[in-house]
Amino acid sequence: MPEHAAPAMVSPITTSYPSVAGSPLTLADESTLTKTLVRSDQAQFGLTFGHSRMEGDAIVAATRPDEWTILGAAEAVAAAEAAIDRGGFTSVIPWTHGRACFRLSGADASRMLEKVCGIDWSDHMTPDGAVVSASVALTTCDIIRNDIIRNDIAAGGAAGTPSYLLVMDRSFAQYLFDALIDAGQEFGIAVG
Amino acid sequence: MAQSNRLPQQPHEVIDRGSPLNFTWNGKNLTGFTGDTIASALVANGVEVVSRSMKYHRPRGYITADFWDPNGFVQVGPEPNVRSGHRELSSGIAVDPQNVWPSLDYDVKAANGLVGRFLSAGFYYKTFMKPASLWPAFEKVLSTFAPGGTVDLEAPKDEFDKRYAHPDVLVAGGGPAGMAAAIAAAESGASVMLVEHEHRLGGHLCWGSDADVALAGELAAAAEAAGVEVLVNSTVTGRYEDNWIAVTQRSHPLATERLIKARAKVLVVAAGLIERPYVFAGNDKPGVMLSGAVRRLVNLYAAKPGERAVVFSANADGDATVADLERAGIEVASVVDARSGANLIEAHGGSKRVSSIEFADGSKVDADLLVVAAGWTAPTSLLNMAGDRPVYDESSARFFPQHAIDNVLTTGGLAGDGTRDELVEHGRATGRLAAERAAAVRHRLQAFTVQAAPVDGDEPAWADDARTPLGRDPHPALFQSTSTGTKSKAFVDFSEDISNKDLVAAAKEGYDSVELLKRYTTATMGPAQGKLETVNTVAVLADARGETIEEVGTTVWRPPYAPISLGGLAGRIFNPHRVSAIHEWHTSNGMVPIQAGAWERPDHYGDPAAEVRNTRENVGIIDVSPLGKLDLRGPDVPKLLNLLYTNKWSKLPIEGVRYGIMCADDGVVMDDGVTGHLGENHYLMTTTSSGAARVWEWIENWLQTERPDWQVHVTPVTTAYTSINVAGPKSRELMAQLTDIDLDPEAFPYMTLRQGTIAGIDDCIMWRIGFTGELSYELHVPAGHGLHVWETLMETGADLGIKPFGLEAQRIMRLEKGHFIVGQDTDGLTLAPTTGLEPLIKLDKDDFVGKAELAWAMNDRLDELPRLVAIQTTDPTIVPMEATQIVRAGTTEILGRITSSRMSPTLNRSVCLGQVASAMAAPGTELELVLIPDGRRVTATVMEHHAHFDPEGERLRA
Amino acid sequence: MLLVPCPYCGPRNASDLRHVGESHVRPDPNTATPEEWRTYLYLRDNAADWTTETWYGTRCCRKYFKVERNTATNEFRNPPMPGNKLGGKA
Repeated sequence: MPEHAAPAMVSPITTSYPSVAGSPLTLADESTLTKTLVRSDQAQFGLTFGHSRMEGDAIVAATRPDEWTILGAAEAVAAAEAAIDRGGFTSVIPWTHGRACFRLSGADASRMLEKVCGIDWSDHMTPDGAVVSASVALTTCDIIRNDIIRNDIAAGGAAGTPSYLLVMDRSFAQYLFDALIDAGQEFGIAVG
Repeated sequence: MAQSNRLPQQPHEVIDRGSPLNFTWNGKNLTGFTGDTIASALVANGVEVVSRSMKYHRPRGYITADFWDPNGFVQVGPEPNVRSGHRELSSGIAVDPQNVWPSLDYDVKAANGLVGRFLSAGFYYKTFMKPASLWPAFEKVLSTFAPGGTVDLEAPKDEFDKRYAHPDVLVAGGGPAGMAAAIAAAESGASVMLVEHEHRLGGHLCWGSDADVALAGELAAAAEAAGVEVLVNSTVTGRYEDNWIAVTQRSHPLATERLIKARAKVLVVAAGLIERPYVFAGNDKPGVMLSGAVRRLVNLYAAKPGERAVVFSANADGDATVADLERAGIEVASVVDARSGANLIEAHGGSKRVSSIEFADGSKVDADLLVVAAGWTAPTSLLNMAGDRPVYDESSARFFPQHAIDNVLTTGGLAGDGTRDELVEHGRATGRLAAERAAAVRHRLQAFTVQAAPVDGDEPAWADDARTPLGRDPHPALFQSTSTGTKSKAFVDFSEDISNKDLVAAAKEGYDSVELLKRYTTATMGPAQGKLETVNTVAVLADARGETIEEVGTTVWRPPYAPISLGGLAGRIFNPHRVSAIHEWHTSNGMVPIQAGAWERPDHYGDPAAEVRNTRENVGIIDVSPLGKLDLRGPDVPKLLNLLYTNKWSKLPIEGVRYGIMCADDGVVMDDGVTGHLGENHYLMTTTSSGAARVWEWIENWLQTERPDWQVHVTPVTTAYTSINVAGPKSRELMAQLTDIDLDPEAFPYMTLRQGTIAGIDDCIMWRIGFTGELSYELHVPAGHGLHVWETLMETGADLGIKPFGLEAQRIMRLEKGHFIVGQDTDGLTLAPTTGLEPLIKLDKDDFVGKAELAWAMNDRLDELPRLVAIQTTDPTIVPMEATQIVRAGTTEILGRITSSRMSPTLNRSVCLGQVASAMAAPGTELELVLIPDGRRVTATVMEHHAHFDPEGERLRA
Repeated sequence: MLLVPCPYCGPRNASDLRHVGESHVRPDPNTATPEEWRTYLYLRDNAADWTTETWYGTRCCRKYFKVERNTATNEFRNPPMPGNKLGGKA
């Protein structure tokens, strides 16, 4: 059998939009992040449903009452997987290819989400770290609020830039990306 | 005509005289100013008649000159039914009258007025009821009489949008009380959305005194300073369960209309009062205006509504109008005070305008403007929607809310009367109460919502309503059910052309309940939806019944408060669709797509029959990514499979693949597919493409509710894998070039699976199954590499004659093989054993879904059930359409139907599956088909095997 | 739109969930009479009163749960319980 080179995985987002420097609201395709799903009857990562935190450089999010999602670069996810409690009834499922992932960032990100999702995006209902599953433009997404805290701001304790990870079924990704770009026109959305 | 009726500068006008705007009316060039409404610009240009009425085509002028004006509907360019009293003038627009033919000035259908008795209430019902066969003809004629403008189908589409909102407090109405409530709520820490119907905050203060206008400005500034989200030119159109509030925003810069779906913790209704028309003879003549209309036209727009006025006043607003007119230099010929018992008899006039007013004392005064200030209607719509049933107060001559539910509060004119300061104070108290109650709701929501920030302390106590109620000013009750004038009609509903006589007549005919009367006469059912008409309608009916208004009661106001455009309801159109990782390739390689559920996939690439032949001769590949796939893990998966499928699963070895059918508990086939045993406690289940989501929920249901002690994790992995079926006699030869997996038929037999590397991609699953009946491998490769594997297959298979095939070719091949499709060849009554798969139903299992019904059916009445059989027509060239009926020969007795049919490129004849009565299901039975569409009868035969081609399955086991 | 008190997520719009229907018990298929079985399959009380019903978190937690709702007023009562061990009518 001839050797076949394995190329890097391909994102489901195939259309290209111009990126605008300094755009107040950005949508970035992060679909090629490594993702792992943990299903377990054990508590994992000290996280209860609806919450997320950084585990090293990976994001871990309790996306269902008995389900956790790990996202990040391959090495970061591998490192986070080491923290999984494999006792009880626990399954660790590769999830990289099943899910697409976008990051929506900017001061207007919550106002943008209000246009496509019925969840209350105010800080007290969905603070940084909140995880919520909901319909976004009629597509079911896991949404993880993961604000971008710049070092200088973090030092002063001020809030960072609101940022949300939208994680959805891969087959809907292109549709949703286009829909978000369209709905975000009033905020000057650009691909980040 | 240079704005002949534009007054000199008025102290609080909102027009910008430095910014003129050109527009046309009825083809004539006119000029207005920025800030004008279309109505005020027309009045300023001396336009008196703006429309013709619906039934009688009577000339009509403005009566309220605002959003609710029943006479102000105009065509603006391509847009029909524009409310000219509300729409702001813009540069270059073409405004035209509606409902006129051939012209506004000379309208042929005004002759309807002469035959008015034929157009009385219920006329259509009575006249056109019989014969029904003539209705299309009636409709054609009647439609030329229907009011409304013209829709331009070629006009560019407007933009519409939607958003959600979650304000703590939503205030409907930006008058003094509403603004004060919004400010107080915001100052108490609530997030507040303030929605005002008009173009600016202030309500009636805008056209009031210097102090009124100053207060409006102060409150508007304070609202902004307090961080209130203010939406002007927007309407709260509905209140639904749990304070789900619909707001139509007409003021968004990028959208013609935006629908806001707000979940408010507390709703404050401060909708104010709407001025009520007075019912008297000639009350619809141009030149008869309500006091609010006159004050708005004069004070806001400096538009002169007439030269010589008579003012009929029952309240302070009527009195204030007199002062406004005098200040503006318009002659007030007479003031008739209803509070001292004076009354109007009739407005006389020619075809264009009133010319004189006749009073109850017999006197008559010449005038071209009659100002009427006869009372107020409380627009309690939003409170009705919250469950309130307002009660009539005789002394104030209007309805008041009883008590709204706890998170809906009322302030302003709806709640009572008061001075400016009293209204503001009541508003503030309402805002504070709203904020306190909203804080309690917010605390509860936050405490119970998993992802919300932690909340400290106990839930705040539910604040008591300690507001000082507003008073109620006495007001004369001015209603007339019998016109005392001469010939002129006294209109109750201007939009629907319904007079008080029409209502009295309908009541005499027996339509004497208010809800019946409304539907029979259509009173209150026009564009103002009762805002102007309801109370007068009730009053006329009360008089006809000899009862009080309170006894008659009112109709229930339902959403929407103001009309919403269909575009606004649709909003931004989201049409989710799914594509596979190979979609782009299909698109650039001649795919003819088909929509299958949310999936867009290749139906074929130009010639499905050629795709079939190539697959049967060489090798073909199809993208079957939409195939539902569920990853099942855990020690109890075999138990789950035994429960869900009708056959047995306990002994499926690792690397084994098995087909199963799933039934619901009524024994009806729900889904089917193959499940493979990937490893210890690990399975991959496939479902039909359309059934993927349903089967997932189904499994969760059994695991969560009926078998919670079982350890199974089910994960939908449909799009985690790109699925490709490689089919055809050369498929083994092709795959051998792409994988190290041993493909020898002994090593990798039919109905088994292997896992390994394909085209350099690890973690692929490959199983030998065959829907097409050929030797075939179904590949499941990680989706991010799906395109690579597909392209490598195409490239490597070029020498073998590889061609892609689409859904249509697959459907033909499976039909040649006699495989049924759930939902196509089965229906909502198809019990599993009737599909020819009896051996797969294992009644000796302890339990499986559907077992009880299947046991009864198979033991007692299988002979009574229709059967799925393969059918071939006697004439091989005839392909009976799917759904063709199978009948008893020579009769119309239906014995079954064709469920699938195609011309088989392989057999060169038509092939079918069909459901037939069990008596007709024996092989060799001759059937009679009634062809669609011509009803021709042809014969066909029931076949021995479901498979028309290779019934022994030698090819796929090769 | 109704806010449904999901025991896992908190109050959610009804459109995020699927109303499964009145909660009911599945009889033992090996002992049930046809009448009992078809009552389970097809018959519901459909009361204009308090009912115990099952919802599914289609677009949220993907959990089945049971709530008591008054179908005449849309009030909910009693903290809803997770979906396991459903059964027993109110």
